[in-house]
Amino acid sequence: MSDPSSINGGAAVAMVGKDCVAIASDLRLGNQSLGVSNNFEKVFQFGDKTFLGLTGLASDVTTLSQVFRLKTNLYKLREERSIEPQTFANLVSSTLYEKRFGPYFIGPIVAGLDSKTDKPFICGFDLIGCIDFAKDFIVSGTASDQLYGMCESLYEPNLEPEDLFETISQALLNAVDRDALSGWGCVVYVITKDRVVKRVLRTRQD
Amino acid sequence: MNSIAKQYTQGNVNPVSREINDAMAELATPPQLGLAPTLQLPPISQPTDFLRAHTDDATNPDCKIKIAHGTTTLAFRFQGGIIVAVDSRATAGNWIASQTVNKVIRINPKLLGTMAGGAADCQYWETWLGSQCRLYELRNKERISVAAASKILSNLVYEYKGMGLSMGTMICGVTKKEGPTIFYVDSDGTRLKGDLFCVGSGQTFAYGVLDSDYKWDLTVEEALYLGKRSILAATHRDAYSGGSINLYHVSEEGWEYHGNYNVGDIFWDIKAKEHSFVNVET
Amino acid sequence: MDIIIGLTVKEGTIIATSKAATRGISILKDNDDKTRQLNSHNLIAYTGESGDTVQFAEYIQANIQLSTMRENEIELSPKAVASFVRNQLATSIRSRKPYQVNALIGGYDTKTQKPSLSWVDYLGTYVELPYGAHGYSAFYCTSLFDKHYRKDMTIDEGLKLLQMCVDELNRRMPIDFKGVYVKIVDAEGIRQIDFN
Repeated sequence: MSDPSSINGGAAVAMVGKDCVAIASDLRLGNQSLGVSNNFEKVFQFGDKTFLGLTGLASDVTTLSQVFRLKTNLYKLREERSIEPQTFANLVSSTLYEKRFGPYFIGPIVAGLDSKTDKPFICGFDLIGCIDFAKDFIVSGTASDQLYGMCESLYEPNLEPEDLFETISQALLNAVDRDALSGWGCVVYVITKDRVVKRVLRTRQD
Repeated sequence: MNSIAKQYTQGNVNPVSREINDAMAELATPPQLGLAPTLQLPPISQPTDFLRAHTDDATNPDCKIKIAHGTTTLAFRFQGGIIVAVDSRATAGNWIASQTVNKVIRINPKLLGTMAGGAADCQYWETWLGSQCRLYELRNKERISVAAASKILSNLVYEYKGMGLSMGTMICGVTKKEGPTIFYVDSDGTRLKGDLFCVGSGQTFAYGVLDSDYKWDLTVEEALYLGKRSILAATHRDAYSGGSINLYHVSEEGWEYHGNYNVGDIFWDIKAKEHSFVNVET
Repeated sequence: MDIIIGLTVKEGTIIATSKAATRGISILKDNDDKTRQLNSHNLIAYTGESGDTVQFAEYIQANIQLSTMRENEIELSPKAVASFVRNQLATSIRSRKPYQVNALIGGYDTKTQKPSLSWVDYLGTYVELPYGAHGYSAFYCTSLFDKHYRKDMTIDEGLKLLQMCVDELNRRMPIDFKGVYVKIVDAEGIRQIDFN
């Protein structure tokens, strides 16, 4: 309670497949026990194939998504191309460390495909910007313990986009069903070489 | 009467009167069963403070022992008897420990007890209440009244006041002389008779729906739906309520179980039927 | 705690705030208006720490009015107003003395002809909702809204639903909040209406 990172609740997860990645989050925004909104997406797009999942204090989620929108727009104007996942991860890291002594209470995860090599990239961060590179999956939010359990048991390498969608969805769905502060709907993005597919999942509403 | 009389009589002067007195004393204290459990206390100077410091979420959020909390339960009286409806979620902090908790305790074929607060406290003491009610029946050759049963429980929890018991319960039942009766009993020692109660972290949400549609003249079918719908409202908005809904109807013949409804399924059915919950995308 | 409820209907947004101003064990005033008009189609309703609330609302009011003057009478949209309020609160929460104010912003977008209700809390959390409330009233009213709210409600139907909420609060709240003021924001602007 009154722990800033678990006032509003929420969960996010990213996974690597064969030439594809997926990133997903729940849709709940609460005020402690009270559910306030069921339409609060925690996944944001910042490049053609660069995505950021943000869980934690909802105020900081909004603030940071706006900060990164500003920064990636300026990047695009200067470079005349959209930002790569790798580059964006470093941008997230340094932005968070700027607030080392008064941090944002969030748990960011990045997922995307490199535009040149089409190679999948995912990573996660702690709240002051330490990057956690992973080859398989990254989890974050109030249901992170449950997500670790689900991902450790369901994940297998080199899944095709459709199978990856099924795996990440089941992992998230079953994880949030064991967390009081997450759920109320889910959204899943599957990113492949030639397209990005967004799907909204129907979940329990309690 | 015997104890008062003894106070004013002289000490045991002869063996005969001593024997009589001993026999009286033996009868005065109810026989204790060797198997009946006793409650142990931690061997420290202030067990009450110790327990509170380590288990009371409200005063110490960092407490290490999280007792299962969070619930929505309701019971109301109407023309056709009593409706009892409860959710089935148990949480320890934000962790959903179970979605299949049975929060209605069947004390006997005419009495129900609901469960909110400490799951173990409710389960233990309401089962204990069941045995006390049975003993009363055997001693007095008639069924205990709801008022008396609830008073046994409220007196018991009052004995333990300040020691960290946590329960909010409704004792519901019918007897010949009382008719359908609901008593609210909680671990502070409060005991209230009433027509309509909601208890638990989701109580306000249930009250909202229940108050707006409650009438004394509800049919049994309408009343069952209202009970179910009120719990559904609470499971939707309250993070610490959910799982499934258990429904009971208590009438002259005793209680009747009206089934278990998974919130994950009936939410969508009710939403479609009522055209309600419009903020939820289908 | 003070009561603030809002809901959007087909033609506009309805905002209700309690009339009682309570300090300690006394009700100091039974005709306190907890709203401020920001521009012709935006209204802020507030609750929270006494002192902070009015200071903050009037600061917002002044800034929105300044914007209207600077922009040659072109008024900020409900979304722009809500974003501004959120931003102020999100900045404030990390300052030495944060404003402890929760707000609902009722607006009507004259360009898109859509009503809107923004829910903002003292942390800077901001969401758009069809209906919402702050404080204890949220615990009693949201279940009623969940059951009876419809997307295409008229103002009259909205007021009837609001009446249900106020009845419930009168029934269950331990303190007397002295009734509510009700304001409507629609295409015509902002107006107060008779209620109770």
